[in-house]
Amino acid sequence: MKFVIQRDQLMESVQHVMKAISSRTAIPILTGLKIEAKETGIKLTGSDSDISIESFIPTEDNGIVNIEQIEAGSIIVQAKYFPDIIRKLPQKTVEIITDNHLNVTIRSGNAEFHLNGQDADEYPQLPQLHTDESFELPTDLLKDLIKQTVFAVSTVETRPILTGVNMKVEEGYLNFVATDSHRLASRRIPLESQTASITFPSVVVPGKSLTELNKILEEDQESVEVSVTENQILFRTKNLYFLSRLLDGKYPETSRLIPEQSKTIVYGQTKELLQSIDRASLLAKESKNNVVRLQTKENTVLEISSNSPEVGKVVDEVTADSIEGEDLKISFSAKYMMDALKAIENDHVKIEFTGAMRPFIIRPIDNDQILQLILPVRTY
Amino acid sequence: MNTWAEMAKVQPRVSKMLLNSITKDRISHAYLFQGQRGTGKYELSKLFAKSIFCKFKQDGQACNECKDCHRIDSNNHPDVHQIIPDGQSIKKEQILHLQKEFTYTGLESNQKIYIIVDADKMTTNASNRLLKFLEEPSKLTTAMLLTENSQSILQTIRSRCQIMALQPLNPIHFEKKLQEQGIAMETSKILASLTNNISDAIEINTDEWFANARKIVVQLIEVLQAKPDEALLFINNQWMTHFKDRNQLHQGLQLLMLWFKDLIYHDVGNEQSIVFTSHLDEIVQSSLKWSRSHATQALYAIMEAKRKLDQNVHPTLVMEQLTLQIQR
Repeated sequence: MKFVIQRDQLMESVQHVMKAISSRTAIPILTGLKIEAKETGIKLTGSDSDISIESFIPTEDNGIVNIEQIEAGSIIVQAKYFPDIIRKLPQKTVEIITDNHLNVTIRSGNAEFHLNGQDADEYPQLPQLHTDESFELPTDLLKDLIKQTVFAVSTVETRPILTGVNMKVEEGYLNFVATDSHRLASRRIPLESQTASITFPSVVVPGKSLTELNKILEEDQESVEVSVTENQILFRTKNLYFLSRLLDGKYPETSRLIPEQSKTIVYGQTKELLQSIDRASLLAKESKNNVVRLQTKENTVLEISSNSPEVGKVVDEVTADSIEGEDLKISFSAKYMMDALKAIENDHVKIEFTGAMRPFIIRPIDNDQILQLILPVRTY
Repeated sequence: MNTWAEMAKVQPRVSKMLLNSITKDRISHAYLFQGQRGTGKYELSKLFAKSIFCKFKQDGQACNECKDCHRIDSNNHPDVHQIIPDGQSIKKEQILHLQKEFTYTGLESNQKIYIIVDADKMTTNASNRLLKFLEEPSKLTTAMLLTENSQSILQTIRSRCQIMALQPLNPIHFEKKLQEQGIAMETSKILASLTNNISDAIEINTDEWFANARKIVVQLIEVLQAKPDEALLFINNQWMTHFKDRNQLHQGLQLLMLWFKDLIYHDVGNEQSIVFTSHLDEIVQSSLKWSRSHATQALYAIMEAKRKLDQNVHPTLVMEQLTLQIQR
């Protein structure tokens, strides 16, 4: 393998794939970084077996030549040293050569490094992309989908399947659902007509992987192509591939959890409500469950209160836009409520209650694509 | 050992059973390989893993050439997980890692294999965590538990595995090999009972430490018989200064065990099996003093002492207790 490459280009790619590499890994080869050279360009791969990131540097990009003198081949270099070496090289261009004995020579200006590499055959083989079963999403929309659901995944391992976000396509809509069995966050978006007919298995993507993906995706990129294979999901932007393993098992049926009727409906301003609950939770934080109480009053006033005997109590009033239906007294976790309200994009929010002991749902006022469900807390 | 044919020479029955299960596509979800040190448990598990993963296998025999085979050999296969005791026992984090792996799909395919080396070193807690997986195995997962002592594995785990008992190596064969290397008959017998590896045996033999160890074991027996009051003193002054770390102590106890075995052999008239042939007089002496049932008791006590050493009990205390038990 041989190529000469622009150092900045290489450095950027190396930084991308380094995000996937962890020094503590069960499989020794994964402490390495894979470099693969082809006529079309250079591909770098990093992985910690849960997520894998591939970064592609094309030989020519809009007429600008990035890479020269390519001889195809591949090698694994130690990720512990490679990025620092590239960063500190003196010249703008880097020449990387490997020989038959897995020795890597990195040359730039007068500096020359010799590294011991490893056989690229030892590296895990990542699944190939199936373009026929993929669909495209705008990057910012995907980031929204992740942000609005991933906070609700379970953090305890008692039911491992709940540590992931359920992704499925139903009736032309793409659904994201996450729940930790005390609350549920879901978001759905209509798919464009040409992709609406795709068959897409219901998969569960680990919450950790999605959080990581959200960090890596940049706002300015146009679209992300998503495709699912038997055991991995692939998110692909122009030159960056993000692969994650899936969670094994069946996701619980969540549609039945959502109540269809409601006894009390509150319309309110998202921000005011959020701030009020935030205030009330200041004292509630002291007790473990972080519970606040909401009570409907006359003249569309909502009273939000919290009482922790050791510290003190707080009473706050918010004026709602309108309240329909029965009077209500309900207690719930302030943290869950705040997470849910933050996920609502609209300024105005609609909250539907079905009694003090039943779960309630929060939606933006103008559409039903976002749905947040919270189970109340029983208090006396 | 890279082929089933080679394995069959050492373990004919087990290799045939496993090979049949591969060719007939009836692979069980969990196996327990039990056999003494050196019987090829680990090689067997690798061989079996290769036969499951290799895409070019013929009649169940992996090719040993393809990427999958190479990566299993170098421990780099992403879907073959190995748990090797980290120090004295298999730690909770290691089982946690395994548990996480159970919930994820495989990296390359959904076929997954877990090899747990020295499975008896799992704590009860760790075993119980593993149990959950053994009770509800997913379709394409195979677990292989390797152990030298299947009795110390939780009953509930044992009952959920297909148990493959590896036959012990023939010690006479090994002794002959050692004698060909120019090692004296008595020594070769002792070495054969300590290790199954020729190069190890030769190394131990040339070690001066080992010659002294034998002397001290014989001395301990003498002290125990002649001057039982001084036994504890002897342990402190001679034994503990010679057998310094855990491994050395294990070897010392192994020698002590051989002595008591000899005692029983002498008692039942099986003179051929006696290991300490040059100390025959002492054995006759001992058998006059200690009955067969006492020798059996002593053997139990030694095994118990070895177990305690593994559990990190203070070595001096273990030895003191042992001598008191043997005296009794």
